[in-house]
Amino acid sequence: MNQKAIIKRCKELGCCDACCIRYLGIKTPSAYENAQEYVLKISADKAGQPQKPETNIEPEPVTEPTDNFPQDVKTEAPEGATGTTEATSCEQSTCSELLVADNSCETDDSCGEPQPKRKKLEGVCVTCLGVLQEENWPQCWNMVQEMLEKKRYECATFACALSAPIATILRERIVALHLRDACAAYDDASLTPLKEAWKWSFGARLAAHVRLSLDSGAVSPLLVTLHIEYPDDMQELEVLKALSPGLFSARRAAGRRFGVEFTRRSVEQALAGATLDALRTRAQLSEAPPVRARAQCVSVVCTHAPLYLGGRYVKLSRALPQTPWLVNGVRMMHSSVQEIICQPIAALYQMGVEDAEHRLKFMSAGREDVDVRCLGDGRPFAIEITDPTRQPSEAELSELCEQISASGHVRVRRLTPVSRDDLAELKKGEETKCKTYELLCIKLSRSADDEPATNGSASEHAAGAGVAVTARDIARVNAYRNTPAGDAARVLLQQRTPVRVLHRRPLLTRARRILELSARPVPGHPALLVVRVRTEAGTYVKEWAHGELGRTRPRLGDALGARADILALDVAAVELDWPRRPPPTTTHCDPLLL
Amino acid sequence: MEEISILDSIPDLNNFKTFTDRYFSKRYITDVDGIKNNDIMIMFHSNRIALLSLAPSHFFFSKNEEYKVNYTVGKVDRLKNSVRGKSKRGGQQLGPKSVICKIEFEDGTGFEIPCCMKGTLVEVNEELVNQPKLLKEMPDADGYIAIILSSIAISEATKSELLTHEEYLKVLDSCEIKN
Repeated sequence: MNQKAIIKRCKELGCCDACCIRYLGIKTPSAYENAQEYVLKISADKAGQPQKPETNIEPEPVTEPTDNFPQDVKTEAPEGATGTTEATSCEQSTCSELLVADNSCETDDSCGEPQPKRKKLEGVCVTCLGVLQEENWPQCWNMVQEMLEKKRYECATFACALSAPIATILRERIVALHLRDACAAYDDASLTPLKEAWKWSFGARLAAHVRLSLDSGAVSPLLVTLHIEYPDDMQELEVLKALSPGLFSARRAAGRRFGVEFTRRSVEQALAGATLDALRTRAQLSEAPPVRARAQCVSVVCTHAPLYLGGRYVKLSRALPQTPWLVNGVRMMHSSVQEIICQPIAALYQMGVEDAEHRLKFMSAGREDVDVRCLGDGRPFAIEITDPTRQPSEAELSELCEQISASGHVRVRRLTPVSRDDLAELKKGEETKCKTYELLCIKLSRSADDEPATNGSASEHAAGAGVAVTARDIARVNAYRNTPAGDAARVLLQQRTPVRVLHRRPLLTRARRILELSARPVPGHPALLVVRVRTEAGTYVKEWAHGELGRTRPRLGDALGARADILALDVAAVELDWPRRPPPTTTHCDPLLL
Repeated sequence: MEEISILDSIPDLNNFKTFTDRYFSKRYITDVDGIKNNDIMIMFHSNRIALLSLAPSHFFFSKNEEYKVNYTVGKVDRLKNSVRGKSKRGGQQLGPKSVICKIEFEDGTGFEIPCCMKGTLVEVNEELVNQPKLLKEMPDADGYIAIILSSIAISEATKSELLTHEEYLKVLDSCEIKN
């Protein structure tokens, strides 16, 4: 079957030019940019002469033999087939009313002659239902334009995606079966997918219309999705229940899992291996059903790939939770680290409160308690911005840091764009990183080697009256270990799940290690000492300090040789190099000076 | 807010509260089962978890006799209690009358410690078996008897039924006056 015959048969069945080319298996984008011209050229080729066998990769139209055509046909602009209309069965020629109505710039074909072989209405393609037909496009362009203007992206490229009526799958298959019926050698697997043809034809023209450059979805962060719907979509598919009753009754039985009967997948499954015969006898469908209305764009969705900003926050307040702290829906604290960081970002992207709640997501490498400060270089965190309009500039990032830090409670030195892979590292760090803490502790009872009480008070428990941290106590803490000498850990802890989280976590005993431990006295406060510990991830430090009723063993008191408790806790260092600083740029660096 | 030293970062150094006073609210029930000074203290964490303990006025504290803590109650060994998962499945179910443990004095006398609330036994303080003196020396700290988890509703209801610390002190005062 030669190309000409395929086109002829496609036309008889009611296909548009672009669909004809799709059935030829052509995968050359430029062919679709001017489908009409391409089809004309093949159809007008020497009548009766068998064309060379079709191949998937078809040369550009200009390289095709064009004996019958004057040179101007192929060099003319897209609308240029004027002079050839009568010589060919031009699809567009039958739908002039639409052309005049909304597509004045596209083609100036005069009102077509009635096409005797065609039964379908209004010149809408039986296969693509108009998706690939130019007269449909201006409406789509305008909808895209409107949406882009509303969302105000600052992005030079875009990718486009199509959500096409599912009925096109059934219609495509029927036409393909007819082609195979006409020629056993026809390979319907070579059919160029509707989406591809649409991108090459519609997408290219859309790009010009919205003045953006079209790129693949893998490259451009901005994705424009057009939902094109066909009013009879579901009714037309009903016949598949007769064709493949088993499949759909199974889907109905599992109704809760499948919300809808007809999906692209179920339709493809139902049509797998279908023959014209089967369609004719079981589904009473010998050809594609007449088109009653053209498929139309019902909505356009534009989304920009999420943007991730990474940084480290320093938390200076003992009355600030990391995330909003709600008990039965009631706020316990008036702000949170998350809110302080997100607020200026929301303002930069002009998001309302509700909008920001959905579109800004705060992530961090672990968290500290509401009454714990996080000092030093701070704790790594990231913000995911859903559907951003653009990437913030360096200056804006610095400005954001200043606004966050102006709160006085949270300080962020640097914000930097990070990748999705970086986020995985952030989350992994939560389980692996070591942390250094500083604890303000109080000694509550006498050590065995303390001087006897001088004031004659026998009461040891009177709130540690007269209790003082001695140089021997400090030395004891500094020398303390319950692990063999040389072990990487100083203290091996057995911690039961703390009571404060026991209501929502299982009761377990966890082994955790304190890697470094040191203490110093606090001048002017004899009962106090400052303890520094470096621990592995997941250590409950407060519980180690007070021992939590003996549920963490050993405890600080065992190192000190007296009862002890904790008054305040600071995170001094979170050992996770994140976000990594980019390698320094060498443009202005004289290597000799380094 | 500047980054100030840890010493200056907390408001009041002189107002030290113990671990249980920081995180728990104490509730009391006196003369349980009609036994004079059979006084129980339950400490409720804000997350509804409860610690069972003896109230300071319990007759136990006025008796100078060696004792042991026995967690075997009838056929049930409280030491064998185990819970699985977040919802603490498999824990022994307790009612107000359930006995958590028995205190057995060397002179052969003893008494039972009731639970005084409905809930699931999460943990008993095994250390009391090795170091019974903790019960006498630190009843509101390391000498706690058991950890009990109940629903928010039961926890709240029990909390409001029992005596607050102030009410408890008043009850003690009036008892002393009567005596």
